[in-house]
Amino acid sequence: MSDQRLARPRPGGRGAAQHDSSSLEGRRRALRARRLRRGWVAWALLLPAAAFYGVFVIQSIVRTVQYSFYDWNGVTAATWAGFGNYVEIVRDPELGGSIVNAFELILFFSVIPVALGLVTAATIRKFATSRLALVSRTVLFLPQIIPLVAAGIMWSWLLSTDGLVNQVLRAVGLGALARPWLGDFDTALPAVGVIGAWVLFGLCMLLLLAGMSKIDPSLYEAARIDGAGVVREFFSITVPSVRQEIGVCVTVTVIAALASFDIVYISTQGGPGNSTLVPGLEIYYLAFFEREIGTASALAVALMVLVLAVVLPLQRLTRSGDS
Amino acid sequence: MSRPGGWDRRRGIAAVLLVGGLAAVAACSPPGAGAPTQGSSSTAGGTAGAAPTCGDEDVTLQAYIETGFPLPKALMDEFTKQHPNVTFDIREDQFAVITQNAPRVLVDDPPDLMRLPQVSELASDGLLLDLDRYAAAFGWDQWPASQLEQMRVDENGRRGDGPLYAMGLNSSMTGVFYNKEQAAQIGMTTPPTTLAEFDGYLQAAKDAGLVPVAQFNGGATGGLAFPLQNLMTSYGAPTPINDWIFQKEGASIDTDTNLQAAQHLEKWIEAGYFADDINSMDYSMMMSRFIGGKSVFIFDGDWESGNLDKQMAGNVGFFLMPPATEGGAQAAMSAPLTYGVSAKAANPDCAAFFLDWAATNEQARTIGVEVGGSRPMGPADAFMPEVDADTVTAQTLAAGAKIGEDNGAMDFIANATGAIYAKSWTPNLQKMVAGQQTPEGLLKAVQADYESEIGD
Amino acid sequence: MIVSARERWTGRVLLTVLMLVTVMPFVSLFVTALHEPGTYPAGLAWPETLHWSNFVTAFQSAQMGKLLVSSVLIELGVVPVALLIGTLAGFALGHLRPPGGRWVFIAFLLGLTLPYEGIIVPLYFQIREMGLLNTRWAIILPLIALYMPFAVFWMRAHFITMPDDVSEAARIDGASTWQLFWRIHLPLSMPALSSLGILMFLWTWNQFLLAVVLVDDPTQRTMAGALGAFQGQWGTDIPLLCAGSLLILTPTLVIFLLFQRRFVTALLQGSVKG
Repeated sequence: MSDQRLARPRPGGRGAAQHDSSSLEGRRRALRARRLRRGWVAWALLLPAAAFYGVFVIQSIVRTVQYSFYDWNGVTAATWAGFGNYVEIVRDPELGGSIVNAFELILFFSVIPVALGLVTAATIRKFATSRLALVSRTVLFLPQIIPLVAAGIMWSWLLSTDGLVNQVLRAVGLGALARPWLGDFDTALPAVGVIGAWVLFGLCMLLLLAGMSKIDPSLYEAARIDGAGVVREFFSITVPSVRQEIGVCVTVTVIAALASFDIVYISTQGGPGNSTLVPGLEIYYLAFFEREIGTASALAVALMVLVLAVVLPLQRLTRSGDS
Repeated sequence: MSRPGGWDRRRGIAAVLLVGGLAAVAACSPPGAGAPTQGSSSTAGGTAGAAPTCGDEDVTLQAYIETGFPLPKALMDEFTKQHPNVTFDIREDQFAVITQNAPRVLVDDPPDLMRLPQVSELASDGLLLDLDRYAAAFGWDQWPASQLEQMRVDENGRRGDGPLYAMGLNSSMTGVFYNKEQAAQIGMTTPPTTLAEFDGYLQAAKDAGLVPVAQFNGGATGGLAFPLQNLMTSYGAPTPINDWIFQKEGASIDTDTNLQAAQHLEKWIEAGYFADDINSMDYSMMMSRFIGGKSVFIFDGDWESGNLDKQMAGNVGFFLMPPATEGGAQAAMSAPLTYGVSAKAANPDCAAFFLDWAATNEQARTIGVEVGGSRPMGPADAFMPEVDADTVTAQTLAAGAKIGEDNGAMDFIANATGAIYAKSWTPNLQKMVAGQQTPEGLLKAVQADYESEIGD
Repeated sequence: MIVSARERWTGRVLLTVLMLVTVMPFVSLFVTALHEPGTYPAGLAWPETLHWSNFVTAFQSAQMGKLLVSSVLIELGVVPVALLIGTLAGFALGHLRPPGGRWVFIAFLLGLTLPYEGIIVPLYFQIREMGLLNTRWAIILPLIALYMPFAVFWMRAHFITMPDDVSEAARIDGASTWQLFWRIHLPLSMPALSSLGILMFLWTWNQFLLAVVLVDDPTQRTMAGALGAFQGQWGTDIPLLCAGSLLILTPTLVIFLLFQRRFVTALLQGSVKG
């Protein structure tokens, strides 16, 4: 995969030129002059993208921060609130709870797909080119391409009282476990998490599989000769070799968990109680339903900061072993 | 892997701080500073005095209605038949979605007619058209005052008095529907006259292996508020509850009789009188179960009467919640099927004319009763269609008359503030079902949310 | 590579089970869609009579024709523009590398992890001030902006890998920057561009939050947004809801199956870099 090359330091075009004789010196000066002109061209080419980004994204981030310091209902004039909205996030169990819920979702959105993906990929890597494996590439990807809304609708139905999940449980004699999964305080959040795991598993598995296909087979052969079993092989060769891919999976899925909205909006609307309320949904409710723009914005700022705070250290973790 | 390397991470953080700094600068001018302070006084044009009409030219009314209730569409179809120049562009959503969208839609996509949740905040924010001018022109102010008081909002945002901000398509009322066949099976031949008797039938249904009550309580709609408020009226009087709903000074939901009611509800939950999946049951699932014979009772409103007469002809009965002691006064939640006009509506005159028509036209009143199942709005002596005495529609109409005599009408506790239902009653009732909330805690939590909402 | 029969079989069984779990929801959706409208079918039960008419009803009540047109219009508004300006910026940052460009790049990187919910509130007021609420522009313009971090990041990464000697040689032959970009870099960038295009197509098609907040009229929304509205209206009728969901899914599924190889590659690369 090309990303291997991308990670390298900037390719040395200039370094290559130095191998040539000094007769190039004059041309190089001309090139430098041109480079100055290219500076202006470059800025002109950057302008449209930067303009869109500045107007809609940067400005919106700034305005979110601004709103978060006000009490505002979106209609009448706002009043200054200082850090009041942030204090509310800490004090109000509903707001704080939504953040806790988002972190719990990480278990399902990230840990399960990555762990299950690792095991599956390690099991099938040896016949990754068989027909079954090729078909699986297509099938396992289906959840990735459909809208999350559709995943939410499908699973709400599967997890309902008379849904397939309970039907299967009853058929295998586990009827006592059957319940309205999305309507039960103990299971609603995990049930939402399962929907996320279903969506994200395929992506993780295939990413990890792609990573494993780059492992030098001789490593495994050497391990076998040393008498290593499947388990040791998995932990001492496979997992370390795909550390980067694991990092990617975790990053993508953690963001999906913390910023979840679509699935919850469709399947539980945050209920029962507030047991599946997540920050994204709470921002939406606060801003457009309860019309507490200030509190909504404070929560939005908290969410943006949280995502950065979780994702940035992850980059360090996956990168640290490289050098 | 080509994520940003270490060199730019620190600067990334610096950039975040920079953005924060920018924000502090931007904070100088508060959002909404340029917003007009009041928009509500803008009553739409038209000649004063003469009652407005829809005119002769083609008009398309933008209507935003609630999914699953055939009455508005039936009325609109009939209206177009009588006034061919008027057509309706209808958008439908579930009530919870409408509640969430109301403030935005009224401003940014203004409908001429819109199904509304409770109106106090929408009215005081100037989103709804003041209908007083129409009330005078059409003579709505001559109707029994109680019909309209829930839709009046004073300058402090309290309901019950002040300008009129909405109208009803009819006036609905709630109680208990029951499956006659199953009721006979558990020995209930006439409706219970005391709460204790009702308790007995619930237990009998449970003992007979039937589901006593399938009550919707899932998603954003806590349907246990229906039995709860019914129980409140068994134990206490409707007036304090109405005061609370209308945000009268010092009103509280956390009273002794309401606590008894909440404890009674908890007793029902613990006794297993409700289906075990009510926390994931939505309204239409409840209806489907009841119609399919999978629930002996449901707490619901007369808007279903017409539907039930069709789907369970002869097999469905209705009674008002029995009082705690025999012969006690009865009360019921009773509210207009509220429709309002956006302050920015394009055709307010025609919309108002439609609302008046729905209350006064004989054909419309017939549809109101037969399709809607409830009493239409309008003067006390207005035309009423003949209704077959065996139908549940007849029973609910009679019950409505009884409530009128007893002065037992009250609004719905879910209508006290804009967000009290979805953000307070619903989650707390769902918690109570799961054993995570006590009756005391329920009332205290709701009262706290109520105070924090009307406080600012 | 030596693979024991046992390993092979474990792998096969595991893979088959996982594929079944993946496909089951689709099957359940399909079977439920064939039940009588207005009923609550129990689990995965084959209906006695097949109500194919549900699809017709759903097609009409969901105004599928209009929804398709709307989604396509939004795609046409977003993807080409975002591709073009993202590529130009990527070329500037990755190949021309102007002084100070690094700062611009960092500003873009900031947006890579941005949850859309973080800025949806001011976005709503901004779009309202522009008078664009309830129009497709309300989705198109912010989406182009929101895709910029990834598009610029992706294309910059691509242009950085292009060996400099190619361009130097062209320069020496007197090619202008424009010619260099148009004649040499762009043709070499087709794989990167098409992957980016596919990703942006999918993201747009499936965009829900912006549609729900900024556009009320389902016929002005993206497919996912329209599906949300359809659920709002028909969520009370499960078979019809399932039929409608399937109809709304079909175009995506068809396009995916036609271009699956490119899709899979694009998504895998996309997440590696995103």
